[in-house]
Amino acid sequence: MLSKFSNGCLSGFAKIWLLILFFTACSDKENPPTPGEGKITFNFSHYNNNEPLQYDTMIYINAAGNHYLVNEIQYFISDVKLCRSDGTYQLIDQWKDIHYVDTDLPETHSWHVFDPILPGDYERITFTFGITELKNQSLMFVNPPERDMFWPEVLGGGYHYMKLNGKWLSASGQILPFDFHLGIGQIYAGGVVIIDSITGFIQNYFEVNLPNSSFTISEGDELIFEIRMNVENWFQTPIVYNHDDWGGDIMQNQDAMHIGCVNGKEDVFSFFVMNNKHNN
Amino acid sequence: MHFVKLIIGKFRELIVKCALRMSLLLFLTSILFFACSRNDEAEPYEPTPYIINIPYGFPTNLNIPEDNPMTVEGVELGRYLFYDGRMSGRTHPDSLMSCATCHMQANSFECGVDHPVFTGGFTFGLSGAPTHHVMLPLINLVWNNTGLLWNGKISKDNPDSHYQKLEDLVWMGVVAKHEMSGDTNRTKALIKSIPGYPEMFRKAFGTDEVTMDRISKAVAQFVRTLISSDCKFDKYMRGEYQLTPEELRGFVLFTTEEGADCFHCHGGFGNPLFTTNLFYNNGKDVEFTDPNDRFSITGKPSDKGAYKATTLRNIRFTGPYMHDGRFATLEEVIEFYSHHLQNSPYINPLMHHVANNGVQLTPNEKADLMAFIETLRDETFLTNPAFSRPEKLPGENK
Repeated sequence: MLSKFSNGCLSGFAKIWLLILFFTACSDKENPPTPGEGKITFNFSHYNNNEPLQYDTMIYINAAGNHYLVNEIQYFISDVKLCRSDGTYQLIDQWKDIHYVDTDLPETHSWHVFDPILPGDYERITFTFGITELKNQSLMFVNPPERDMFWPEVLGGGYHYMKLNGKWLSASGQILPFDFHLGIGQIYAGGVVIIDSITGFIQNYFEVNLPNSSFTISEGDELIFEIRMNVENWFQTPIVYNHDDWGGDIMQNQDAMHIGCVNGKEDVFSFFVMNNKHNN
Repeated sequence: MHFVKLIIGKFRELIVKCALRMSLLLFLTSILFFACSRNDEAEPYEPTPYIINIPYGFPTNLNIPEDNPMTVEGVELGRYLFYDGRMSGRTHPDSLMSCATCHMQANSFECGVDHPVFTGGFTFGLSGAPTHHVMLPLINLVWNNTGLLWNGKISKDNPDSHYQKLEDLVWMGVVAKHEMSGDTNRTKALIKSIPGYPEMFRKAFGTDEVTMDRISKAVAQFVRTLISSDCKFDKYMRGEYQLTPEELRGFVLFTTEEGADCFHCHGGFGNPLFTTNLFYNNGKDVEFTDPNDRFSITGKPSDKGAYKATTLRNIRFTGPYMHDGRFATLEEVIEFYSHHLQNSPYINPLMHHVANNGVQLTPNEKADLMAFIETLRDETFLTNPAFSRPEKLPGENK
């Protein structure tokens, strides 16, 4: 057999087999574009007042005048849609349709989308902040870190859409913790916040239309997008959120969570194209 | 055309080189194979894989190192070593110490407050040196991916490769002054000299060689089998048990922000380990001087005074509580979270109830919460014969 190799007399089958081995061995682990398609990556960043977010330092003042710091942010985005001008869209859902971002975990800050992207012009990108009612099922994440986002069954089940944890300088002069947590809201009969008075649940997830997110992708392109969270806007537009009014926890306060959702939909997220790599 | 021929020529050259290398590799492997098989002809090394069945709702990611796959034989050897006082490298009755000397099954593999030697649950080594912190139980560690010990020092993130795995805690236990206070050479020499053990090592690892590495691996394999998944709450999750009204009220308190707000750190239906295995400053103090807190590992100021959130499974048996054992009873712990939180620049933001000094539970609510916590008592775990001391250790006369 060795002499055959040496003499260059490989059988046809062996040649094909070796070629397959050669090419599979050299394939890009990053899953490059296949012919006729492009690839995209989402990078997630976190800013405050147009500067990269600094953690655990009381340097921010919100629109209500609260001095505050941010300790960590954890959230889900899901059902990303690449929308075309004719009303059609490509849903990102191959292998993964829900992405978890954790400011403490750098590995969550990039999402290399598996789905091949059809070449063409796209008018905008949208996504669901949180998880839709249909998909937000308890125990679908059993491993950390996503697991630790679970939303208690008695409060509606499923998972937090977001945990934004920090501290603020309260009107009393104390620095107090706040947990700005969004998820399924509850309706309490008579406004009495006890579990026995829950009469229904409110799905607070919302769709974000990323501003200025049009793009064109061609065959072989590998585009990198940045989805930026502007943290200050959770607390100011269009509704000013005052930590002194809402206190440290809001999971059982639908009015407070509603403000978060209205503000989140408005201008918390912005969009940037980081590169425009054309491989053709 | 010439260029194409050149490429084809290079490609052929490459293939020939690869073929030669593969042949050499095959040859060497064959030599190795036959060399090994000649010694093992009498009884080939065929360990039985130990399969961990994932309980309902539990994580599927297991912390099992690639270089220490679990086998039935390895687990069995580990169980014997876990309970063998000669692991200290000594034979005098006063100098025996095993893992089980402190990690007692009846107390969820912790020493508990009722230990005959370690009064109040405060442990010390054969040298008399006290441990830095009180003990943590050996329970469901196969799902701990964030670091062992109160500060998470033993972690794959530790740049020192000697402090990364459960296996490392075994040899550390042998040499630490506040534990067995021995040395690994004595331990492995003694274990090797005991009739029966070399044979168990051969079954577990292929040869009868006794090394500290193998001792550590075997004990770690056994500890990874210590799984609790059969408490009342597990049965509730599986639909096999209905919580009593008191337990249910306690569960609601446990799992709501306006209640006792335990779930963010200690899990619940969505996390039946009943710990995130993460580290928190939970508002016990305003000054932080412990050189072994989480800050000592990460260097992050927000980790000052932070320690691992312990699992609440079998928590009744694992007192005293907190890293320094300041609370002797669970009742004291609930009292602390209810009324005595202390604010500091380093308190974790999840402790937002510090604004009111605590969650302010009423006496009835405290009783309900306690009733729920008792549903996390796993009698199956505490009495499982597979976790118990073998009837007779190698070399024992009785």
